[in-house]
Amino acid sequence: MSGQVSAPPSERTSRLRGGLTQSWLPRGGSAAGRSAAGGPAPRRRSTAASRRTTRTGLLLIAPALLFVTAFALIPLGFGVYISLTNWPLVGPYHFIGLANYTALVHNSVFLQSILFTLKYTAIVTVPILVIGYALAVFVRANRPGSTVFRTMIFVPYIVGLVAESFMAVVELQPDSGTVNFVLAKFGIAKVSTAWLVHTGLALTAISVLVIWFASGLTMMLLMAGMQGIPVELYESARVDGASWWGAERRITIPLLRRSIALSLIISVVGSFLAFNQFFIMTDGGPGTSTESVVMAIYQTAFADFNVGLASAMSIVLIVVVGLITFVQFRYLQGDAD
Amino acid sequence: MAAAVHDRAAQRSAAPRQRRSGLVWYLIAGVAISAVFVLPLLWEVFRSLQPESAVSNPPSAASFTHLTFGNYKTLLSGQADILRNVINSLIVGVLTAILTSLVALLAGYGFALFRFRFSGLAFGVVLLAFMIPFQAVLTPLFLELHFLHLLNSLIGLALFYTTFNLPVGVFVMRNSFLQVPGEMVDAAQIDGASVLRTLASVYRPLVMPGIATTALFAFLFSWTEFLGALSFLTNDGLFTLPVALSNVETGTYGSVNYGLLLAGAVIAMIPCIVVYIALQRFYVRGLVSGALKG
Repeated sequence: MSGQVSAPPSERTSRLRGGLTQSWLPRGGSAAGRSAAGGPAPRRRSTAASRRTTRTGLLLIAPALLFVTAFALIPLGFGVYISLTNWPLVGPYHFIGLANYTALVHNSVFLQSILFTLKYTAIVTVPILVIGYALAVFVRANRPGSTVFRTMIFVPYIVGLVAESFMAVVELQPDSGTVNFVLAKFGIAKVSTAWLVHTGLALTAISVLVIWFASGLTMMLLMAGMQGIPVELYESARVDGASWWGAERRITIPLLRRSIALSLIISVVGSFLAFNQFFIMTDGGPGTSTESVVMAIYQTAFADFNVGLASAMSIVLIVVVGLITFVQFRYLQGDAD
Repeated sequence: MAAAVHDRAAQRSAAPRQRRSGLVWYLIAGVAISAVFVLPLLWEVFRSLQPESAVSNPPSAASFTHLTFGNYKTLLSGQADILRNVINSLIVGVLTAILTSLVALLAGYGFALFRFRFSGLAFGVVLLAFMIPFQAVLTPLFLELHFLHLLNSLIGLALFYTTFNLPVGVFVMRNSFLQVPGEMVDAAQIDGASVLRTLASVYRPLVMPGIATTALFAFLFSWTEFLGALSFLTNDGLFTLPVALSNVETGTYGSVNYGLLLAGAVIAMIPCIVVYIALQRFYVRGLVSGALKG
């Protein structure tokens, strides 16, 4: 993220020069870049003028800072504080140190929800990436129809998983849902298959739904990256006699690392924070076998009223999600950027 | 970027004969793939027009001919008064879109065109909200909103949505301002126009696409959000559409009625599709700017 903070000068200069990549210019921004981004500040910087610039700048960003502080940072800090107490939803509370965290180690519901969420993430991540990549290859060319196909493939993502989960609930019902009647025609399932009351079947159905829902987003992100790759690279690869797959492997995939990293992070973090589809389609059942981490937190806070414990779970979740993001970013980006 | 794509397409057209049959296959494949993603949703629209008895029983010949708006009529009137929830969702969505684009517009302007102390730090703070998953601060936020008397309030919900849409919004708006040619900035400066005046007169036409992108993202986020609305609203009359539908699903309004549930889900789906098709240029722009710079 620190790269973004120092990005504006070089970004701006490269845009003005009609450049494709930011890497042409040194990261920190050249002297020319700095003055270009100086904006309305006069060239001869008197202290009074720069003080005025500072004041105006701060005033402009103040509302955004206020929102983020009030509804993201304070809750985060408050969450850490609550996690060190035995806070019930109503009534007095005491500090109990790290007792909530040590209790989590033995909390079977929480541990099971972590395992289940990991399993779910492992199942959906690769199909979303592979299908998304294949779709991106399909729609990236400026051929007749490709824009329409892009739009169509992206529709499930736009509609959102919540509405689609409600539809899936109806269509996965035994003896009336469309899914069973279609699958029965191919001999894959029986008309009476009750998808949502068996752990394995429910996980299968939800995974298929999510892969269908999320592939379009990966497609869009990867397609944007692919279109930024200079055509000359493919031309020279063709001259060298590279096959389609050879060019894909040697040019597209390495140059797409950033976009792949981004779409993987979005998809893995999204899976880790999954709630809607499980709450709507199985309500965590049978038992708590399809309860995701966020669902476990929700239940602990709003059904068991154990706010302290729920906050400890949340802090663990933030750390885990942060680590996943960091590792994937590091691993896929390398030191190239 | 568009030129590069065009070049690539031009190369492919080198062999005209191959191209013609290749194109036919491309279109066939494209229609088939599109069908996989769109047909299930179209099928649900059709299903929502079947009476409840057809939705909850094995399909028969009759269930394909007796189409009716009955589910919609029941849903939008009488006991399951979904219309109110649709209006709640619209209020929260529009409020979130307006707040997010206004706050992001100012912040993007400040971050892009004013170099000042702490601006890097401040930008980092705004992006932090991007790193904090809102799902993980739900409990403390619940208590905080309670203290602020913003629990069970559509305004409170909109403030919460605005916060978590700001990182993307600020990012998009900052990029919009960075694209304004430097000469225009200097010209405005020489004219001696005030900061807000410059924003209104010089930049407004140039950053409108960015505002459209930000507002669109914020609206769609708000319209489809479920967990926050489920946690922060406990009064039936204030439920947004997704929360109301989860009540239909569990049968709070009498017995479970899958016909109503389908019709409700279709009502939730339609604004997304309409808004996306109408403004997809801006949506894709936002995604791409996030993808390339993110």
